[in-house]
Amino acid sequence: MAGALSDLKIVEVGELVSAPYCSKMLADMGAEVIKIERPGSGDRARTRGPFPKDEAHPEKSGLFLYLNTNKKGITLDIAKPEGMRILEQLAAGADVLIHNVAPLEMDRVGLTWERMRRVNPNLVMTSIVPFGLSGPYRNFRAEDLTVWAAGGVCVLNGGGPEHADLPPLKTFGSQAGYQGGVHAAAATMGAVFAHARGESGQHVEVSVQESIAAILEMTFEYWPYMKMIATRLGQKPLQPVETMQCKDGYIYLCCIEEHQWRGFVEIMGNPEWANEEIFGDRLKRALNWDALKVFLEEWVSQQTVLDLYRKAQAKRVPFAPVSTMGDLLSSEHLRARGFFVEIAQPMAGTHKYPGAPLKYQRTPWEIRTPAPILGQHNEEIFGTRLGLSAAQISELKNKGVI
Amino acid sequence: MAKPPLSGIKVCDFTWVWAGPYCTLQLAHMGAEVVRIETKTRPCVTRMLPPWPDGIFDGLNKSGYFNQYNQGKKSLSLNFKHPEAKEIAWKLIKESDVVINNFAAGVIDKMGFGYEEVKKVRPDIVMISLNGYGDTGPYREYVAYGPAQVPLSGLSSLTGYKGFPPMHAGFSYADPNAGVHGAFAILTALYHRHKTGEGQYIDMSQWECAMDLLAEGILEYTMNDREPVRNGNRDAFMAPHGIFRCQDLPEKVMDVTIDEWVSIVCANDDEWARLARAIGKPELAADPRFNTLAARKQNEDELEKIITEWTVKRRVAYVVDTLQAAGVAAGACADNKYLCEDPHLAERKYWIELEHPEVGVRRHCGIPWRMSGTPCEVKTAAPCLGQHTDQVLATLGYREDEIAALHQKGALD
Repeated sequence: MAGALSDLKIVEVGELVSAPYCSKMLADMGAEVIKIERPGSGDRARTRGPFPKDEAHPEKSGLFLYLNTNKKGITLDIAKPEGMRILEQLAAGADVLIHNVAPLEMDRVGLTWERMRRVNPNLVMTSIVPFGLSGPYRNFRAEDLTVWAAGGVCVLNGGGPEHADLPPLKTFGSQAGYQGGVHAAAATMGAVFAHARGESGQHVEVSVQESIAAILEMTFEYWPYMKMIATRLGQKPLQPVETMQCKDGYIYLCCIEEHQWRGFVEIMGNPEWANEEIFGDRLKRALNWDALKVFLEEWVSQQTVLDLYRKAQAKRVPFAPVSTMGDLLSSEHLRARGFFVEIAQPMAGTHKYPGAPLKYQRTPWEIRTPAPILGQHNEEIFGTRLGLSAAQISELKNKGVI
Repeated sequence: MAKPPLSGIKVCDFTWVWAGPYCTLQLAHMGAEVVRIETKTRPCVTRMLPPWPDGIFDGLNKSGYFNQYNQGKKSLSLNFKHPEAKEIAWKLIKESDVVINNFAAGVIDKMGFGYEEVKKVRPDIVMISLNGYGDTGPYREYVAYGPAQVPLSGLSSLTGYKGFPPMHAGFSYADPNAGVHGAFAILTALYHRHKTGEGQYIDMSQWECAMDLLAEGILEYTMNDREPVRNGNRDAFMAPHGIFRCQDLPEKVMDVTIDEWVSIVCANDDEWARLARAIGKPELAADPRFNTLAARKQNEDELEKIITEWTVKRRVAYVVDTLQAAGVAAGACADNKYLCEDPHLAERKYWIELEHPEVGVRRHCGIPWRMSGTPCEVKTAAPCLGQHTDQVLATLGYREDEIAALHQKGALD
């Protein structure tokens, strides 16, 4: 069975996370993706690792290898006029162009929808932009942290009221990139579907800041509804919903409904203190958290993570381990579902990577090829696909275009 | 006038809480007709959660949480204790292109609306379950609540200040992440159906979706057999890379002083030199403590102290503007008030402000993309519970007197 998107041809001008993750989602469902990288250094993700044995090497970066599975890689400098002409040729034969070229750079090299639609009116062009292509922040320089913070997430995370001096905290990794990428993947598929149903090609502009502001749970509305500011310093409205230390690691306690708290109390062997009036409901448990915490910490510290997790789940109490990477790799559940996939790449070796986000009954998610070596498919794409002669290719190479 | 991309696509939406509703919100944004099946006998949790106007909970239609994630959808109230309610759901499924739920594994089957049954009436249906652990595996029946999915995913063990215990993400991040991945999957399956006529079932685990966001942590372990060390806001390849204290908000909000912060990143030596000039200390650019990435990483505590001395006396918007003018990546560490008053989002017309019968006009977050050919638009505020029951029943062919009788019986509670 072919992938659901095996008839789609995609060109990516992407680096780091957002555009590469977006096109990876389509590539893993069968689409052909030609990834364009800067001649010489390539995608910045190649410099970020992690690297096997900590030896930095552009072909061994874990982040790059993960984000670029199933893609063909070519080098092309789109800032040079010949380079832009080749991009136009590639776009002419493609269904989708996905990029995260920054707005100032788009202006400088002339990468616009007007230009691309002239060469291919059926093209879907997806621009993933930190702050969008309009408005006063359009040209802001951005890194993942600055967009994640500007989207409104960092203020929600950190040390809580006891550690008000500690700064708001980023979430691990390049989360702005992932959210920009996955929102762009959904929007891109919307435009692809519209085209399949008879609409023309179009430009899809995705703002990463807006993608983040869209996922702030209920916190954004605290201002329009109650004129309240929601931050990491607020007291939790109900308890326990906290991380606690066991003998062998951390567990996340989560009693939202009353029956869940009662289940937890039973697991603890119905201690006398649990009958205290001050712990009588979830709101009281939050108000008197300082006192409750002492009892819970003492009991939880004598438990092991997996044992408490299983006992809680047996009573429908939604505790979860604070999984380490080792826990994930050794999880019997994830093993049974076959989540992790082994990918062999000649230079980096064979390693396990995160696998399919979803399991489709009919159309497979699959890894067909590992991420490309820098410029690996130059001959195939420039020669066979675009019909350039060996002499033309070597001239472009000499000029630094490819 | 071009139609939105999913015009004519009908979604039978059994979801609740956040992950599922965030998924169907994307489909509603693209113009699908989304009918949320609800019941007055057990309303969606988010209808009972704050924020509420003036902080008072006095009804199921006033929650800002619900009203954010259900914009543009319809609400059909059904009480499945009545066989007539099931009959209505089956009629709706028969006319739908997509069926979606985010109950724990097996629940939708017990309700009688499992895929095997659904495909008998609609062989080409696209059906997806977004549950916490997925449909298979030994933990498939485990209960998953939004906040617990973040630590389960592995994200917490990687997030936190150096030397401190693991931290959360501050919100139930795995939920919307699952929702938007689910929307992508539905669109992919609809595209496949358009080409081949085939529907299919999609099994989704929120846990697995979240692990796709932490490849760097997982690969540190699989490549080098060690757990990554939590390192606050810092980055191994860039310095400075942090969040710095600015001046407090001059006016208190509800008697509380509001702290304000800015994020600043220099990706290379040139950006560091520009930052040094912008904060009036150009000599720091060549200072051997800071003139290379290695030196800045070595002296990062001191580096952050110097930057804080400058930021702490200034308002966050001034800091951002000054550093951006100098070509340095800086962004406000925006809280909800800051976002809600952000001139940039205003100029981009990001917010949705539609009349709602019970809360009036409130500002909500809108659609994070713009499509030039098939524009997307939020046309209606989130529905009141059961607001479209009569309307949906009428389109399914029920007469007025039949609808009245169903109300009488309680089948539409």
